[in-house]
Amino acid sequence: MSDQYDQDLQRLADAFDLIEPGPAPSRVKAKIYSALMRQQAQTRRLMSLSEVRARGEKLCVFERLVQIAPVGQSVKSLNICRVCGMRALAERFDDPPIYWAGCPYVDLKNS
Amino acid sequence: MCPEGSPSGPLRDLPSANTKGAVNSDGALAAAVLRADRKAMAEFVAHCADCVYGYVRSRLAPRYDQVDDLVQEIFLAAWKNLPQYRGEGALLGWVMGIARHKVEDYYRQYLRVPEPLEEAEPSTDGLAQLPDLEQLLDRDQLRRRIQQVLQRLPEAYRLALIWRYWEKASAREMAAKTGKTEKAIERLLARARAEFRERWNRV
Repeated sequence: MSDQYDQDLQRLADAFDLIEPGPAPSRVKAKIYSALMRQQAQTRRLMSLSEVRARGEKLCVFERLVQIAPVGQSVKSLNICRVCGMRALAERFDDPPIYWAGCPYVDLKNS
Repeated sequence: MCPEGSPSGPLRDLPSANTKGAVNSDGALAAAVLRADRKAMAEFVAHCADCVYGYVRSRLAPRYDQVDDLVQEIFLAAWKNLPQYRGEGALLGWVMGIARHKVEDYYRQYLRVPEPLEEAEPSTDGLAQLPDLEQLLDRDQLRRRIQQVLQRLPEAYRLALIWRYWEKASAREMAAKTGKTEKAIERLLARARAEFRERWNRV
C-alpha cells in the first residue's frame, strides 16, 4: 500500500536527516574504551608497555612507572588503567579534571 | 567530529584514521587494535565514537537512556569482528554498518511485541502542511519540527517510521525481521503515518 503521505514522508526523510552532528560525551568515550580494554585483557594479553613505548607511543606517568619497574612482561601487559583514578573520573564526568600527558582518557577527553 | 549524514547517505565518503603516516591508515589502526595495542584502542574509540553516538542518538530519540548501552554494544561487536575488516573501505564506514545493524536489531526487538495501539483509519491525503522543501528558509527549524513530532509519537510508530523512511527498509524487510506479515507492517505504517500527520498539523 502506498499513499501520498508515504511519498511525502520519504521526501522529508530524504531532505532531513535526524542526526545532529556533534561530539560524543567524553564520559561515553571513556566507558567504551574501558569496556574494550576489559574485553581485550580477558581474551588476550595486552601489548606490554615496553612494546608500546618502543612503537613510539606516549605513556602516561603511571604507565611509565610500570614500564621502567623491574617487573616481568606479564605485569607490564596488565590493564593498569583499571586501578587508575583518571579512569574513574573520566567515566563519571563529561569534562573530567584530568590532564596527564599520554593518558588515553585525557586523549579521549580532548578528541 | 563526525561528518553530517546517515550511513546510507554522505557517510559513505568517510575520513580515514590519521595514524602516523601509514599508507592505509585505517588498516594500520585496525591491525594495531588487533595486536592489543592499548593506545590504538583509544584512537579507534576517538575515531569512531562521535559518528556512532550521533547516529544512535538520532535513531533512538527520545529514549536517550538506552543510547550509551547500545553505543557500547556496537563498539564491542566491532572489536570482536575486527579480524573481518579487510581495510578496503573506511573503518568508520565499516563500524557504521555494524551500528546500523544494531539499531535495526533494536527496532526489530521492539516491534516484535504486539502493539496495544488502537486502529486508526489510514489517511490517503497528503501532508497538507508540508512546506515546499525548495522554499524552506530555515532548515534547522524544520528538522527540529520533524524531531519533535517523531518524539511525541508512540514508540512503535516512531521506530516504524524511522526504520521505513530514514533507514529505508522496505515493508517486506521489516516484516521478515520482525516475524510479522507484510500486511501487518503496512497497517502499522499507515497508522504511524496518520498519527504523524495529525501531530504535524498540531505542532
